[in-house]
Amino acid sequence: MKYIGKEIVGLPTRQLVAGKGQYVSDVILDGMLHMAIVRSPYAHARIKSIDTKPAEAVPGVVYVITGKEVIENMRPIMEAYDTAAMDAKSVKCYALCPERVRYVGEAVAAVVAEDKYTARLAADLVEVDYEELPVVFDAEEAMKPGAPLVEPDWDSNVMVTRDFIRGDLDKAFAEADGTFSGTINTQRYTGAAIEPRGYVATYDPYQDMLTMWASTQNPHPMRVFLAETLGIPETSIRVIQPHVGGGFGLKIPTFQEEPLIAYLARKLARPIKWIEERQENLLVGGHARQNRLHYDVAYKKDGSVIGFRAKVIADVGAPAALCGWGQSFVTSYCIPTCYKIPNCRVQLFTVVTNKCPWNAYRGYGKEAASFLMDRVMDGVAKATGVDRAEVRLKNFIQPEEFPYSQVSGAMIDSGNYPKALNRVLEMVGYKDFPKLQADARKQGRCIGLGIGQELTPEGCSMPKSTLLSGYDGCTVRVNPSGQVTVLTGVTSPGSGNETGIAQIVADTLGVDVKLIRVIQGDTDTCPYGLGNYSSRSIIMGGAAAQVAGTDIREKMFKVAAKMLEVAPADIDSEDGKIYVKGAPSRYVLFKDVASTVYRDCYGKFASDVEPGLEATRYFRHPNVYHQPEVDGRFSSYPSWPNGVSACVVEVDPETGIVKLLRYCAVHDAGVLINPLLAQANLHGGIIQGLGGAMFENLVYDEAGQLKTASFLDYTIPTAVDCPSLEVEHQETRSPFNPLGCKGVGESGVTAPLGAICSAVENALGHLKLNFDEMPLTPDRVWQEIRHAQQQA
Amino acid sequence: MKTPVEVTVNKKKYKVEVDTRMILADMLREELRLTGTHIGCGTGNCGACTVVLNGETVKSCCIIAADANGQEITTIEGLSSSATELHPIQQAFVENQGLQCGYCTPGMVLSTLQLLKDNPNPTEDEIRHGISGNLCRCTGYQFIVQSIQDAAKRLSNGGQPGASQ
Repeated sequence: MKYIGKEIVGLPTRQLVAGKGQYVSDVILDGMLHMAIVRSPYAHARIKSIDTKPAEAVPGVVYVITGKEVIENMRPIMEAYDTAAMDAKSVKCYALCPERVRYVGEAVAAVVAEDKYTARLAADLVEVDYEELPVVFDAEEAMKPGAPLVEPDWDSNVMVTRDFIRGDLDKAFAEADGTFSGTINTQRYTGAAIEPRGYVATYDPYQDMLTMWASTQNPHPMRVFLAETLGIPETSIRVIQPHVGGGFGLKIPTFQEEPLIAYLARKLARPIKWIEERQENLLVGGHARQNRLHYDVAYKKDGSVIGFRAKVIADVGAPAALCGWGQSFVTSYCIPTCYKIPNCRVQLFTVVTNKCPWNAYRGYGKEAASFLMDRVMDGVAKATGVDRAEVRLKNFIQPEEFPYSQVSGAMIDSGNYPKALNRVLEMVGYKDFPKLQADARKQGRCIGLGIGQELTPEGCSMPKSTLLSGYDGCTVRVNPSGQVTVLTGVTSPGSGNETGIAQIVADTLGVDVKLIRVIQGDTDTCPYGLGNYSSRSIIMGGAAAQVAGTDIREKMFKVAAKMLEVAPADIDSEDGKIYVKGAPSRYVLFKDVASTVYRDCYGKFASDVEPGLEATRYFRHPNVYHQPEVDGRFSSYPSWPNGVSACVVEVDPETGIVKLLRYCAVHDAGVLINPLLAQANLHGGIIQGLGGAMFENLVYDEAGQLKTASFLDYTIPTAVDCPSLEVEHQETRSPFNPLGCKGVGESGVTAPLGAICSAVENALGHLKLNFDEMPLTPDRVWQEIRHAQQQA
Repeated sequence: MKTPVEVTVNKKKYKVEVDTRMILADMLREELRLTGTHIGCGTGNCGACTVVLNGETVKSCCIIAADANGQEITTIEGLSSSATELHPIQQAFVENQGLQCGYCTPGMVLSTLQLLKDNPNPTEDEIRHGISGNLCRCTGYQFIVQSIQDAAKRLSNGGQPGASQ
């Protein structure tokens, strides 16, 4: 029985469906206090004074803390993404702002009380006197000379730049049959997991041990960050990740509340809980995505693109210790995605503004790059009259051209883009669609078809980084009775990698997957590892599990070979039996071999192997290089899953309402360990992409107040908004990953942007619309229609 | 200020003193330690806190605990008798992978209970409308819809899988 490739329901599913999971908010400890945060109502202001007395006077309030105490007792929050290694500007951010706030919601004080209602009430009584400072909310305004500075110590609001060039742009534009330019605006949006962030911290002064339950994706890095920020030993901290109710990148450290609650638990020596409210989650729980993308295209009349310039202007909000700003780099790193453009220049300007800092969000900048290229390819089709699919096929990197080095230094491992595109066109009925469209039009209905490509590099491996280094660890322990414990450094915020890892170890050892228990998310029991991000849990954590499992397998084969009186090379294992190849009736039971190693270490079979059946191994992914080459470029992503979608929409020109009728996707992440869970992830990713394409928007007013801080205003897709998705998988093995896997976690989230835009334009082809701003809400679509009608 | 509340939850009578500001979801979670009821928004939008109150689903973040005095409540913990015997709806969610992180799941399962009570044989569209008050960010709803279709079959077949309409 082989488990890799089998559809197995996620291991924690029964527990969770019974309501018996344990999330951080379910951690209820004796004598537990509750924390509430006082947040800035201003987008930029100096803190003149804070009066905590009215809060302290409330019965039940135990402690009130401000930034003054924080800077006297704590270091700045350690950066999750090391600015120095990326030549980016940095700031010192503290668990509470001591002097100056830079966005609405930044934490300035906190109240600890006996219950959460009292804590919240008292927090509202903390009186902070502010002096308002000049603000800037638009990235291109912020780049202008004389713009208000978000960080007064910086010489400008530009945090980091890049300029990748290949070929001769002037020549390409001179030799082109045609050129065009454009600008795309992608809106600010976020992951909005249904479980908000939350932490419970408790301190035992006798053992000098801080225990922190955290709804986080990265327990070990969080422990490093806390140790650095609090100035205490890593060994005096234990971070436990209970069940996590969705992460999507937003639960990657380093938020202000993390060191804050840890510090307070140590100081007060009592358990403290903080659970984020939804309003706080949308206000300060990390934003993403807001980009302005300027581009110039030089094309030949056959549809081939010979020259391309892109200028990425990312509005990353206020600089913080969070890793979100790195998404802007990844956008520039991915362009021109799956296309081969001989003359290409990509410039990046990462700009800070007085808005919520970015944190990582599923897609991590890759979605903007793919969306841009979809708009470009559709633009070339419109300009040349060549079919949209033909334009893509003409410009793709071909299957035999991998590994392919892009202009940024990105080393794309493998893929078969034409095959996937052709298949999705078959699924959606591309050839026959014009007839379907014409028939619908006769009935007064406007239907359209769109295509969206996506390329989502995974296994992020950045130089000199605590969080983003490209490796992970795993311990495989075969117990004396033959059951297997697997401890991993990767974590699952609901994504199912524990199930995939169990399948990998089951196959490596040749045992029933039911014998395997996977343990994750505890810094005291699991090997050091970096947790969950960049679809890395199988490509890194799964590969580490296979390496560790192989060590144990080889050791057990050595013992079994003696028991069977054959050479180790002559045996194999399956279904709990270790048998002689070609003579499967000659076998010993896996559990008997385990027993022999543990119980008879001086006996004739096991005396020449070391006692014990436990291996901890680390895996570092090939296809990464951090020694910059001539142009200062490096390869930071080893693995390049890709996909293509084709969708059909119906647009009501009277209301602007877009209804998604069909959504077909072909997805290629190499070998799938568990196709059921891969499919599940893909469904979720596609629908998050749909939310971004059609609904979700974090809107600020002119004073920097977030107008969309609840689920009434920030509308994520409901079941009614979603069509039934038609998804197929294609398998192009990773040539670099030992399992052949490429990573699934971020797949699906990107293609809906290009596909839906393209489909809406196609549905209203007679109006020659060109959507360059997201999301396609009914009012935006309606306005574009009206505008086009007036022009005509 | 505290006030006494007597409620029947999952057929068991409870007598507690609660803060007058406390919402029903918090009372269930913190006073009765029935933590299967989750809180995702506090504004009645996400449905993670869905429970059955006197036979109808409600969002327990929008009800003051004191107002539940004398009422009868079913939470997710009331659906299955043990770790090995899940309710047919729960079993359908397991076998169809109708969840990922599991945070919205208790509310989703209870909304399914209500939906299938009102309409034992719903169409896909009716299912989607029936759970439109419950937000899920992981699944894209597809396997949830499949789970509910399967649950409807199971319930019409005495809890066993495989019956077709």
